[in-house]
Amino acid sequence: MKEIIFAGSGGQGVLTSGLIISDIAASEGINVTWVPSYGSAMRGGTANCTVKYSTDGYIYNPSPERPDLLLAMNEPSLIKFLPSVAPGGTVLIGDTVEIPEGARQDVNYVKVNCTEIATSLGNAKGANIVMTGAIIKLMGDFTHDAAVTAMNHMFAKKGKSKFNESNARAFDAGFNAV
Amino acid sequence: MAEMMKGNEAIAEAAVRAGARFYAGYPITPSSEIMEYLSWRMNEVGGAFVQAESELAGINMVIGASACGVRALTASSGPGISLKQEGISTLCDEGLPAVVITQVRYGNGLGTLFTSQCDYNRETRGGGQGDYRCIVLCPSSIQEFVDLMLPAYELAEKYRIVTIMMGEGTLGQMMEPVTLPDFVEVKRTPWALNGHYTYKKIGIFERDSMAEAVDLREKYAAIKENEQRWEEESIEDADYVFVAYGVPGRATLGAVRELRAAGEKVGLIRPITAWPYPDKAFTRINPDVKGIITVEENATGQMIDDAALAIKKTHKDRNIPAYALTYVYNTPPISRIKSDYFRVKNGEIKEVY
Repeated sequence: MKEIIFAGSGGQGVLTSGLIISDIAASEGINVTWVPSYGSAMRGGTANCTVKYSTDGYIYNPSPERPDLLLAMNEPSLIKFLPSVAPGGTVLIGDTVEIPEGARQDVNYVKVNCTEIATSLGNAKGANIVMTGAIIKLMGDFTHDAAVTAMNHMFAKKGKSKFNESNARAFDAGFNAV
Repeated sequence: MAEMMKGNEAIAEAAVRAGARFYAGYPITPSSEIMEYLSWRMNEVGGAFVQAESELAGINMVIGASACGVRALTASSGPGISLKQEGISTLCDEGLPAVVITQVRYGNGLGTLFTSQCDYNRETRGGGQGDYRCIVLCPSSIQEFVDLMLPAYELAEKYRIVTIMMGEGTLGQMMEPVTLPDFVEVKRTPWALNGHYTYKKIGIFERDSMAEAVDLREKYAAIKENEQRWEEESIEDADYVFVAYGVPGRATLGAVRELRAAGEKVGLIRPITAWPYPDKAFTRINPDVKGIITVEENATGQMIDDAALAIKKTHKDRNIPAYALTYVYNTPPISRIKSDYFRVKNGEIKEVY
């Protein structure tokens, strides 16, 4: 069973990034759960969701426990969730996030300048898709092609297939950045 | 392939497929997406949808729809369900079937938006004025929620009673792969009002309330005897048996399997009906069990009372300790359930009964 927490400011697309990963897992026919923060928890300007997927059986507790990977798109999210990351786990941070002094050393920090990359692709809103590509590579559970196909399928279902090409470019950039 | 669906949307679609053709209610987090979905979906299937001016109006419209023989639904949470209690009591008094969904959120008064199991006592005791109970189903996944929507209506119509679908904030807001059930063909209930003067008018003073009360006793006894549902694991040789429902129920199943793998003799009863409480499951518990432990998403421990009464009834020879592990603000992690189990075992956590 794998667990990922996606956290950031409202509008940074962390819930969507989690949805893409969970749709990729569902398209592979494996067990998967997606649990968002909602209501007043989001009104403070932060948003997060927890995705769990499992090739070896039922997901007992869909709520956050001990993530293998934390995506932190802003510093409050890093500070909030860093203590819960599994030892040896991965902490993926965006451009504006600095690792605080004295932060725990038993996790792997990976920085991807997702906003800069997305902007350079002419797709400033695609920073979350860049990070989605990076997460697929870092987790190593799904192939690049299966992930892009499932991502495009998800946006097509929402009537947003016109973004498939630019999404795929952002995904590739993130995939290749780690 | 099962599609990822948001709990509230899958539940709303399942209600339509189970034959619900009337919805009235008032929005409240974390249940609102049920009515948002039905606001367009009911029209597609020839049903009716009303965003009522209040919860009270919503449940009263459900009374009207049910009297006309239509499968009727309302949904809410916390204080919204409190406002509906008079109407639920009236449905039970009139013997009108209906389904009420609550996606429970934590807190007294207005409360919070956090997922919870704090309304167990209200849902299982009737909640409104009078001498009645509702059948209460408490699923632990979106799929189980969806699969129980048809039984919810069938039970309500069989016993002329209200079925409460007692969910949790998490079950409404989360997504899981879901396989939706097929559509059922529903006929209007044969006793319903039909637009003609088919039935004799009976005024409130013409009812034989004494006889009705005795009938109620028989009806509730029959439900207790026939409709208990639960899932169990490894309880026949367990030293400690956990009892947990809903999302904490599935988390506790994970804890039980990990503890078993580590050599601890533990088991689980996961109630699927919170009323009638699955007393029968407790007859199957190891006669030499050392304790039962409820895992609940509330601060005060509510289901512990029912679990303690059940074990008292089935294990009469001695007083078996009943412990409550209570957690507020989110489902307890499996690691926490496991560590608290060891605190029970070594005497750090005292029994409630």
